[in-house]
Amino acid sequence: MKKNYAFHILILSSLVLLSACQKEATNGNVTIFINYNVGGQELVTNDFRYTCAAGYTFEVTRLQYYLSNFTLRKDDGTEYFLDEVFYQELGTTDPSIPIPDVPPGTYTSLSFVYGLDADTNVDGGLPNTLTNINMEWPLSGDQGYHYMKFEGKYKLPGTGEEKAFNLHTGATGNNQNFIEITLPIDNGLKIDGNTMQLQLNYDLNEWLQNPNTWDFEVWGPMIMANQDAQLALKANGATAFSIEPMNP
Amino acid sequence: MKRTILLLGVLIWTLPYCTKEKPIDPGWEYDPTPFNLEYPDFFPILEIPADNPTTVQGVLLGRMLYYDPILHKDSTEACASCHQQAFSFSKPGNIIPHINLGWSGAFLWNGKIQGTLEDIMLFESRDFFETDLSRLQNHPDYPKRFYEAFGDKEITYEHIAKAMAQFERTMISANSKYDQYLDPDQFVFLEDEEFLGYDIFFSEKGDCFHCHGGILFTDNRFHNNGLDANPEPGLSEITGDPFDVGRFKTPTLRNIELTGPYMHDSRYETLEEVIDFYSEGLKNSPTVDPLMKNVYKGGIQLTPQEKGYLLAFLKTLTDTTYLHNPALEDPFHE
Ligand code: HEC
Ligand code: HEC
Repeated sequence: MKKNYAFHILILSSLVLLSACQKEATNGNVTIFINYNVGGQELVTNDFRYTCAAGYTFEVTRLQYYLSNFTLRKDDGTEYFLDEVFYQELGTTDPSIPIPDVPPGTYTSLSFVYGLDADTNVDGGLPNTLTNINMEWPLSGDQGYHYMKFEGKYKLPGTGEEKAFNLHTGATGNNQNFIEITLPIDNGLKIDGNTMQLQLNYDLNEWLQNPNTWDFEVWGPMIMANQDAQLALKANGATAFSIEPMNP
Repeated sequence: MKRTILLLGVLIWTLPYCTKEKPIDPGWEYDPTPFNLEYPDFFPILEIPADNPTTVQGVLLGRMLYYDPILHKDSTEACASCHQQAFSFSKPGNIIPHINLGWSGAFLWNGKIQGTLEDIMLFESRDFFETDLSRLQNHPDYPKRFYEAFGDKEITYEHIAKAMAQFERTMISANSKYDQYLDPDQFVFLEDEEFLGYDIFFSEKGDCFHCHGGILFTDNRFHNNGLDANPEPGLSEITGDPFDVGRFKTPTLRNIELTGPYMHDSRYETLEEVIDFYSEGLKNSPTVDPLMKNVYKGGIQLTPQEKGYLLAFLKTLTDTTYLHNPALEDPFHE
């Protein structure tokens, strides 16, 4: 009798499994890999191998920033939003962004925020971790965190004298200055129980051009309280990303 | 035949150990009491390794070891001989003070030890003091205390490191004038001078905060702050990376008033000299940190008045209660 019972369970569960196979499309995952370059050249730190639009040779020393509010959108307007903040640091953090549990369908665009939105960019808006504390934006009258610390050095033409640049972006007063970026996904990203990969190309040279040719000497090294500088960088940063599907 | 001889040998060899082994004293008990580490909400979350929870027994043991010369191979000094409470667990010289080190992940000026407090404490006991374990093992009191903290009859370097790391985690300083000012319940305010100094420190004018920022007043990273045109190896001694030349651990500025002389080689006697250095004494070198963005003009160029403000602010980071915290005092002199 006992045996019989077990047999029934077996039949039942295989029926359940079978019906699962016939079920509609299921949730999947998307992984975004950040792939750096500098004006199409490979990113190598601490090497004066790049030249910017304003004519300086420069090197990249450090890059720390936040990405947040990742959103995948379908043509019919439905979207999948990931309410999470990602800290990225060149050479230190894993340069990939996992977007789990994405509902099935074909997604044709990806949006995200470079930096933090207005709700998050307040004092104490992020958990009190060592990383977040090091990103604080402590200027009087302002609040929140650095969106980005991009640091390096450039050489003066002629003399070759080396000077430092600190592209530190964040809010000044009530100007939030975070960047909303939306990128089309060519041919769409089809989710159905699978894990799809996207390559997010990030060209650091774009901070220095397009639309605003950034002249280190004109802006100087102190831009945290300079809203004009923040706006110029905001416009430049908006062109720094592009997407490349990694799946055949 | 050979085998039996071997077996006999092993037996004879191990016998004395078996008989020598002391049975656990009935009075010994392994039932550690969790220790509640207290620090303000505005401090970062303190990460504690899962295999070394803080306990009352462990903290007390660590504290005893910190003050006891028995840890040193010649018993000539204790940790506390150099790390004195009156000087924020430092002493005039290049001795790094012990203050909020629970939040640190790399230790010593050149970053020789990377990891947790357990890692640095293992180094301090085993490699620096070369602790003779048998002296602890044969001590009338310590074996029981180790047992009560870790449930092990055998004293190891790992146990020493764990106990001392537990004690170090309790060495929290969070009661400077600046902390009181941050606490809205305390109604403590900064003087005008101090506030003007705060503004220099936490703005790009002084730009101290990019390295000595946050509530810990250190980023716990390594930088070349422009001390020399030909910097010493610093972190590169450990990593072998030429870009790490001249990079040293950013020291906390908490209790900085009490821990002179300053810099890894104690080159500055006073805080005034340090401020002069940042104002007009910076030296450029290939690895100087990009955050030292005024190095090309020698420094941040403060007026004498502004230097006074900055100094006044640095002094608001002094926490005298830390120097008299009874829980951190020598447990043998009560
Ligand atoms: C003879 C003086 C002396 C004694 C005794 C001494 N120290 Fe130190 N300690 C120093 C000096 C000097 C430094 C900085 C050395 C360096 O970085 O190269 C230091 C640094 C440290 C640091 C690193 C702090 C940081 O922020 O990186 C720790 C931890 C430490 N000591 C713990 C101990 C412990 C535990 C003991 C006892 C086992 C001890 N010390 C005994 C002189 C001493
Ligand atoms: C680029 C990072 C950086 C910046 C910016 C910076 N410091 Fe430092 N500071 C360091 C490092 C690293 C050391 C240790 C250097 C050494 O000993 O080789 C240090 C050492 C010190 C010391 C001595 C600490 C001790 O225990 O010996 C004081 C005081 C100090 N800094 C104050 C300041 C002030 C004030 C400012 C702003 C004017 C400032 N620092 C800006 C990185 C920085």
